[in-house]
Order: sequence, then C-alpha cells, then structure tokens
Amino acid sequence: MQTPIARAADAVSNTGSQRQGAPPLAVEHIAKSFFTADKVTPVVGDLSFVLGKGEIVSIVGPSGCGKTTLLNLVCGLIPPDAGQVRWHGQPLGARGFRPANVGYMLQKDLLLPWRTAIANVKLGMEIRHIPKAEGNDRARALLDQLGLHGFADNYPSTLSGGMRQRVALARTLVNDPEVLLLDEPFAALDFQTKLLIESDTVNLVRDSGKSVLLITHDIEEAVSMADRVLVLTHRPTRLKAAYDIELDAPADDMIGLRESAGFGDYVRQIWSDLDVGRA
Amino acid sequence: MSAALDRGRGMAAVADHDPSAVSVTAAPPGAIRARRFRRSLLVLLVQALILIAFLAFWEYEAGKSKQSAFMFGSPSAIWSFLRKMILDGSLLRDISVTGLETVLGFLIGNLIGTFVGLSLWYSLFVSRVVQPFVIAIGSIPIIALAPIIIIWFGTGLASKIAMSTLSVVVVALVTSYKGAIGVDPDQINLLRTLGARKPQIFSKLVVPASLTDIFAGLKLTVGFALIGAIVGEFMSSSVGLGHAIFQAGSLYAIPKVFASLVGTITLALVLTFVVGKIEQLLTPWRRAG
Repeated sequence: MQTPIARAADAVSNTGSQRQGAPPLAVEHIAKSFFTADKVTPVVGDLSFVLGKGEIVSIVGPSGCGKTTLLNLVCGLIPPDAGQVRWHGQPLGARGFRPANVGYMLQKDLLLPWRTAIANVKLGMEIRHIPKAEGNDRARALLDQLGLHGFADNYPSTLSGGMRQRVALARTLVNDPEVLLLDEPFAALDFQTKLLIESDTVNLVRDSGKSVLLITHDIEEAVSMADRVLVLTHRPTRLKAAYDIELDAPADDMIGLRESAGFGDYVRQIWSDLDVGRA
Repeated sequence: MSAALDRGRGMAAVADHDPSAVSVTAAPPGAIRARRFRRSLLVLLVQALILIAFLAFWEYEAGKSKQSAFMFGSPSAIWSFLRKMILDGSLLRDISVTGLETVLGFLIGNLIGTFVGLSLWYSLFVSRVVQPFVIAIGSIPIIALAPIIIIWFGTGLASKIAMSTLSVVVVALVTSYKGAIGVDPDQINLLRTLGARKPQIFSKLVVPASLTDIFAGLKLTVGFALIGAIVGEFMSSSVGLGHAIFQAGSLYAIPKVFASLVGTITLALVLTFVVGKIEQLLTPWRRAG
C-alpha cells in the first residue's frame, strides 16, 4: 500500500494520461461555493478524480463535507464555479448538454406514490418515449431479477423499505445507464437488507460492465463494494487519500469480504483519514 | 401477508396502530371484520342517541309555552313543514336550483383556480408578481361584492353562479399553487436526470403530486360554493334554498326556516360525499397503504 498522499497525487496525474481512452467520468479541479445572506461558504475546493469504465469508486468523507453537492455538480444539476466535469471526454457545458446514460439514486427512494412499482420503473422510458411494450418487458424482467416478482402492480406504500429501494434500483438500471451515481442509497436500510442489495448491485453492475460512483458514510460499505475508495477532507472538500481495494473474496460476498484479511486495515486507515475526532 | 393487506385495505394505516388490533392478529379475517362491524355499529348507535335526546329536549322545551314554540320552532312543526315541502315539490325544486348554482360555481371556480394555481409553478417571476394581487382579492368578503354582481349579472341564475365561483376561485388557486411548489426538489432532480424537460416534469410530477392538496381544496370549497350561492339568493331571487330561508325568516315562520336548513344540510352532505368518492376514484394509491 502506498501512502495516501502519494496515491492521491497519482489519481490526479492519471487524469491527463487517460484522456485518450476518455473515461466515462473525469472531474477536473472543480470548486463550488454557496452564497448565503452575507457570507460565502466554500463547499468543494479543487477536487479531481477519474471514474474508469467498469470501475466502482467509493467516496467517503466526514459528515457535511459536501458529498451531495459534489454529486449534483457531477450530474450537471448545478454548475461549478471553477474546473470541469467531463463525460466521455466531453465537457459538461453550462447549458444544453446533459450527461447521457447516467443513473442517479439517493437514500430517499423518491418513488412516486401514485405509480405502481412497475410504473415507477418505467418512468424514465416514458420520458424518453420508448415504446410501451418494450418498456413493460424490460421493467418486468428487471423487477423479477431483483426478487420483486409478484409485486410489480403494488403501490409503493404497500412495500417494505428494502423492496422500495429495490424498485428504485430497478428504475435506475432499466435505462441501462453506463454510469451509476449512488448517494448513500442503502443508508436507510437494515443490515441484512443492506448486504443483500449491495451484493445484488455489485452483481448487476459487474455483469453489465457499468461504472459506479458510490457516495457513502459507511466505510465498510465503501471498502466492500468498491475497487477504489477516495477519502475527502472537511469543507472545503479536497481529496485526502485514495486506496485501491484488493481483497481475497468473491466481489458479491458481502460477509466474506468483511471477514477477509486486510478489510479491517482499510477500514481503520480510512477512519483515521477522516479525522472525525478532531472535527 | 394477505391478511395484513386485507386489514390495511379497510382501515388504511390506522389498523396498524390500533392497540386492539395487536391482540387479534392471530384471529381469522372474518372475526376481525365482525369485530370492526360491531364497533362501527356502536358508534352509529351513540350518534343516533345523541340526536334523539337533542330533538326530544327541543320538543319538550318548545311545548312549554306558545312563545318558545314561536321563537324556536319544534321538531314536530319542522317535520310537518318538511313533509309539506316535500309533497308539494318545493323542497326538491329549491334544492335542485341551489344545487345547480353550487355545482356550476364549484366547477368553474375550481377549474379556473386550479389551472392558474398550477400554471404559476411554471414561472417564479410571474407568481411573485401576482402574489399581492391574489392576497388582495382573496381578502375581499364575497358578500361585499353581491350588489355589484347583481348589477353585472342580473337577478337570475348567472349572478348566483358568479357569487359561488368567486367564493371558490381564490381558495382553489392558493391550495393548488401550494401543492405545486411543495413538490420535493429531489424528485424534480430525479426526473431531470431521467431526461425530463419542464413540461414533462409538470405533467408527470407536479400535477399528480398536487392532487392531495387540490382535493383538500375541493372539499373545503364545496361549502364555500354553497355559501356563495345562498348569499346570492339572499340578495335577490325567486327560487332556491336561500330564497326559501330568507322568505320564511321575513315571515317569522321559524319552523320553515329550519326545514329549509335541513334541505341545505342534505345538499351539503351529498355534495361532500360525491367529492370524497371522486377523490377515492382518482387517488387509488392512497387507499393502498
């Protein structure tokens, strides 16, 4: 294992060398401040990283470090003050260009209560005017795959928290996004449900070669799911450290990964990087 | 599972928090249904007893002297007026005229109010511009407009519909606008990441998400529409419940006033019931919890 700072420097310098291959997502020196009443709050300060194809990258940071702001910047929902976000080498412009093929999932499932599970899954396809029959088939297949067979016509209010989050996952995956942006998607779930959905997510993502940016508070989740973990500093957020995770267990075995040698070391190291005690 | 869903369908989420439900979870669904039926029967019985006791007290007090019978009427006198008005068809005619005015005012007022309220979501600028005007118009007591309305719309049906519409429109506008701007910004962001533009966000998210508030407004405005129609009839009319109440009051025919009031209450209950049924039909997901 290299020192965190050296790895962080590596991650930044990689930005240049990988441009020819145009990774799905490259974040280059972005910064963002918010103006409230009479004061300026810098939230993100000079942050760079790259998400390669088929890679799962986790971002962990202290509470309130601006992770959600980062996500909104990456999606183009808010513009950065400085720096650039590139999707497949193409910069996110101020207007017009929206990242294509991005799936976005939050801790809140954001299911529309007036739509049944399957109608929620079909929302994105409806917006893009994909033929009804095709949308129906894809949505139903994915719900079955996520263990929701027989619940397609249930309203969200009749589903458990875990089932609702699976529907949200299906709604994200059904559009076949190349990149998934997940903002603490499993944080509200109980431990058992969380492990099951984590391993389902890893399987579905690995099988289809998608890239994932996973923002989380949960260090164990970050280490067990990701190829690489980026640790952020307090506000204004910068990159503090980056770790390539190499564990000796099947990628979808959430318990095995947690028990494997080295897991505890990563968790302990990232915990100390987070500097929580001194916050 | 199916028993739990069954229970949920009847009583919505209440069943889950009802402490008595805990003890019966093991009982077969039939027994639960029977128990619930007995309980609602008991509620009905107590309500009937209260009503009967009240009417009996009224009848007894009114029978004590000629004055109190004249001043307060009595249930038996009200009933005989009611019978007469039903038999000669005047009650039905008054109810249907006032009902027509109320329903038309309710529909026109809510259509305009809801349309404008939801449309204001489109532009923060426009909504900020019109806000003080809406508040100003909303603060006018509708009855103060009645003389002008009669000058503009005449003494016929149109002036009552106009009164009823005016009583409804601002409330409908405010409740639907409140619903539209109350939409979760995360949900708007989600739709944007799915590629939705503003018109799609409006039709797929804002309108259905506002339905809860819109229906709350509809239930509120049923009463307002009826008040508008009756106030319009008070000012000048030859038919309708407001006309009957006003005329009977002028003639000191107190039991007839109460008999017409019974007609008004019946109309209000029927209209509220219909709106509730329509809400149930249009928002099936709210029964599913």
